[in-house]
Amino acid sequence: MQPFSFHRPTSLDETFSLLEQHGDEARMIAGGTALVVMMKQSLFTAEHLISLDRVPGLSGIRGEADGLHIGALTRHRELEMSPVVRSAAPFLAEVYSHVATVRIRNQATVGGGLAHADPNQDPPAAFITLEARVKLVSRNGERLVPVAELFSDYYETVIQPGELLTEVIVPPVAPGTRTAYLKFLPRTEDDYATVAVGATAQMQGGVVQKLKVALIAAAPTALSATVVEDQLVGKSVTPAAIRQAAEAVEAIVDPLDDFRGSSSYKRDMAVVFTRRALERVLQDGA
Amino acid sequence: MVSQYQVIGNSAPRVEGIDKVTGKALYTADFSPPGTIWGKALHSPYAHARILSIDTTAAKALPGVHAVITGRDVAGGMYGRAIKDIPVLALDRVRFFGERIAAVAADDEDIAQRALDLIEIEYEELPAVFDPLEALEPSAPVLHDGASAYQGMKLPEGAPPNAYSVIKVDRGDIEAGFAEADVIVENTYHLPRVHQVYLEPQSVLIWLDGERVQVWTCSKAPYNTREALATAAQIPEESVVFNPTLIGGDFGGKATPSDLPICYFLARASGRPVRMILDYTEELMAANPRHEVVVQLKSGVKHDGTLTARQVRFLVNSGAYAGYKPAGIIRGSNQAAGPYKIANTRLEGINVYTNTVPGGHMRAPGEPQAFFAVECHTDEVAKAIGMDPLQFRLLTLVEEGEETAFGEVLQDVLAKQTLMAAAEAAGYYSPKAPNVGRGIGIGDRPPGGGQGTADVTLRPDGTVLLTTGVFEQGSGTYTTFRQVISEELQIDPERVEIEVQNTDYVKMDSGLGGSRGTRIYTTAAYDAAQAAKTELIGLASRQLEWPEDKIAYAGDEVRRTDTGESVRWADLLARSGDTVSGRGHIQDSARPHFTSFTAQIAEVSVDPETGEVKLLSFTTAHDVGKIINPISHQGQINGGVMQGIGYALMEELRVEDGRVTTLSLGDYKVPTIRDIPPMKTVLVQSESGVGPYQIKGIGETPIGPVAPAIANAVADAIGVRVRDLPVTAEKVFQALKEAKA
Ligand SMILES: Cc1cc2nc3c(=O)[nH]c(=O)nc-3n(C[C@H](O)[C@H](O)[C@H](O)COP(=O)(O)OP(=O)(O)OC[C@H]3O[C@@H](n4cnc5c(N)ncnc54)[C@H](O)[C@@H]3O)c2cc1C
Repeated sequence: MQPFSFHRPTSLDETFSLLEQHGDEARMIAGGTALVVMMKQSLFTAEHLISLDRVPGLSGIRGEADGLHIGALTRHRELEMSPVVRSAAPFLAEVYSHVATVRIRNQATVGGGLAHADPNQDPPAAFITLEARVKLVSRNGERLVPVAELFSDYYETVIQPGELLTEVIVPPVAPGTRTAYLKFLPRTEDDYATVAVGATAQMQGGVVQKLKVALIAAAPTALSATVVEDQLVGKSVTPAAIRQAAEAVEAIVDPLDDFRGSSSYKRDMAVVFTRRALERVLQDGA
Repeated sequence: MVSQYQVIGNSAPRVEGIDKVTGKALYTADFSPPGTIWGKALHSPYAHARILSIDTTAAKALPGVHAVITGRDVAGGMYGRAIKDIPVLALDRVRFFGERIAAVAADDEDIAQRALDLIEIEYEELPAVFDPLEALEPSAPVLHDGASAYQGMKLPEGAPPNAYSVIKVDRGDIEAGFAEADVIVENTYHLPRVHQVYLEPQSVLIWLDGERVQVWTCSKAPYNTREALATAAQIPEESVVFNPTLIGGDFGGKATPSDLPICYFLARASGRPVRMILDYTEELMAANPRHEVVVQLKSGVKHDGTLTARQVRFLVNSGAYAGYKPAGIIRGSNQAAGPYKIANTRLEGINVYTNTVPGGHMRAPGEPQAFFAVECHTDEVAKAIGMDPLQFRLLTLVEEGEETAFGEVLQDVLAKQTLMAAAEAAGYYSPKAPNVGRGIGIGDRPPGGGQGTADVTLRPDGTVLLTTGVFEQGSGTYTTFRQVISEELQIDPERVEIEVQNTDYVKMDSGLGGSRGTRIYTTAAYDAAQAAKTELIGLASRQLEWPEDKIAYAGDEVRRTDTGESVRWADLLARSGDTVSGRGHIQDSARPHFTSFTAQIAEVSVDPETGEVKLLSFTTAHDVGKIINPISHQGQINGGVMQGIGYALMEELRVEDGRVTTLSLGDYKVPTIRDIPPMKTVLVQSESGVGPYQIKGIGETPIGPVAPAIANAVADAIGVRVRDLPVTAEKVFQALKEAKA
């Protein structure tokens, strides 16, 4: 690893100053689980690491009228075990329980995970289908960006230089919302997904009121599968309709060949698992 | 059966266990003579290339760098275990991606790495060959032009290019055998390279301390490794001393010279103690993995199940060098016809050089490859004649007094009993849900041989010292020692202390490996205990003036058998101010005539839409001798099966254009506890075994039949066969697609 300076600002203001001062040569560090691995492999070098651990107000989970506010520095494990999350959005806790191992979850942070923007990560499946937004703060103010629009490419987001992700806001989950997260792990239980699909839905009298579908490990970014949603919302559910809607993901996925499967296999599996997730939220026991 | 033993046969805690779990145990990386610096090697970025020039000027100028060496600085040193064909550092040619070309010693690892980045090398790429079949073609590039000159090399006459060992066996009349057959089945199986994935990476430390070369390294065969180092460095073996250290996992891979020769030259050039520890990328790229093997099998069978002929071609991809194998080649070919009766057999076993990472030893070298091929093939042959795979095996497995496929006659053969025990425990014939299948794998192996020494010293304080040259790699030898001494001297295990000596201890000790540990070292310890008792009785006779033939050893005491008088031996020793000792030395390399069978049954379900294989349960049956330490014995079974599951379903060092691409443990996956299904172990007691306690080996047998059992279960579940490991979901999915088309 290359030598670097380690900074521990104690306010947002100081953080912004450090970011301005060191520009391209600086990088923020939260849990460090992603960043340190990349630095060790020389995939990435930084002269200055700015640790967020002493910046107040970035950690913790609050339930408010507009939903759950999850601080960027909240650890994965804390979110997963939080009674507030488990009662307001159990689906979110469930998806987080699929991330890596408990050792990683004890260290990795919610904000670091989102900013890392590896398309193989699980949490966006929940955030996208729960229509969560992130708050991005800079010296010049703040903005809210839907998680569905946060990612721009492999390991890239719309977060600008000098900007910081401070929290994720998950709107209240409507009663009766059905959810499913299917993480396909054909090699070992301890792995990133070959593909994964998250879905949330509300049904009334056999008709789809609302449907959100997200795909993981299927493209350069986590995917919001509106093509699937558009085919089913407002319609009554039939096995044929589900099958046909699932097939629509073929047009939007663009998976990589890697050790978890070839691109063509993942494409086929994206369809299978989308269909299975749809069956779960639209059909099973309904 | 009432045990005749008090200690042997009861589970015993590990001698070094507490130190390990409290972090006190010392491994190579924990030693640091004053002034120790870090060494690191530069790896070739080409699979085959000529080195035109090396410029180390900038690396040498980097502050914190103490030495930079290349092939010119190692005096033409070559190393290897049996065949010395590996240059310490490549001189003018590299033969695999990852080969060591230059090395640096610096204040810390990061500086060493930066110095390596500053070394400039000009290469001229050469045509390369990666596939073992292609390497045998007349047009293939030849890796070693001067192979016959290598120390330890016995090049076969008239061998194809790159083949450095060819074994041929012809038994009966193979052509007549095939002519007699009703059906002929021919298949090719492919086994990938896999890594041992020990927790402790290869670690070495060398300190040139005056006249002596002080070494710390994770070798479980330190005497052999000392020879390899001395030969490479061209120094007398006696000048080198390997110091005791624990070994953090081995699985066969921890007896190679590794970076020791490089480290020696770095220590010489820098005048400092030098430590080198591979990172896991280097491990996966260029350590000593299990070999890639291609197995071609052809069998003739009659409708009644009689095997009339079997032809085996066993092609071992040695990689670029042969030096990581203790015998130059790996076994396995001799087992690739299986433990079956077949009158006519032919074997061609070839070890061939290619431009890929050299293979080394891993748990039961060659056997998981052989067992996978022959056990899958056995199911395919059974299917071809419409016979149930279990029935077919019961019909064809060897029995007492019969010759195995390659003409060995075994004693106390429990092949069928072990298989039936597994079948019963697994409920082999019980009803199955759709897409659920069961598969069988069976194989056998006798314990290996070698030589070992132990000394036992009775001390005046009533404790007993067991002295050994074994460097423990986690399989429990120290604990076995303590049990044997406790048993034979009838004392509490707590009173037995284990002392590990450096390599000045004896002339030669084989160390651990080849399932020899329990065979060799229980015998050495047993003999040492008996010798110490004899010494003690002699002392008692002299001191107490008792007739020697009237003295018996009885736990804490020596007792007169005629009068019943007794004296505590601790008191006797205290009085004489002395200790008594006995040595046990055993040298026994013969392959025993009895073996140990392992029969395993996997139950899987297959998702027909995705190809995903779920292992539902696993049954493993073993024909065993006396079990010294049941918990350790079970540990070897569980660990072996788990490693076999990895081999079956997920592990593979992927190689593309000669380059290993699975360079992290995120890409190269091994099973975790969540991947392990409920397991059932069945022990079939055998009446035979080796040594004073009639033991059989267990370190290697459990891993072999796992993969074929799983592949056969997949075929049973869903009707498609995957002939190359690992059996991934995608391969099953593809096979299903092809079967439908
Ligand atoms: C062995 C292993 C297995 C894994 N398996 C999985 C898995 O199965 N599923 C899964 O989803 N993930 C998995 N991961 C990835 C894991 O989720 C991420 O490493 C983790 O979420 C990153 O969080 P962190 O806090 O450690 O981020 P860091 O490593 O600290 O930072 C990551 C990136 O985010 C930036 N950053 C951090 N905080 C902020 C902020 N507040 N604002 C703006 N930028 C910020 C950093 O500059 C850096 O670029 C695995 C990781 C490892 C190491």
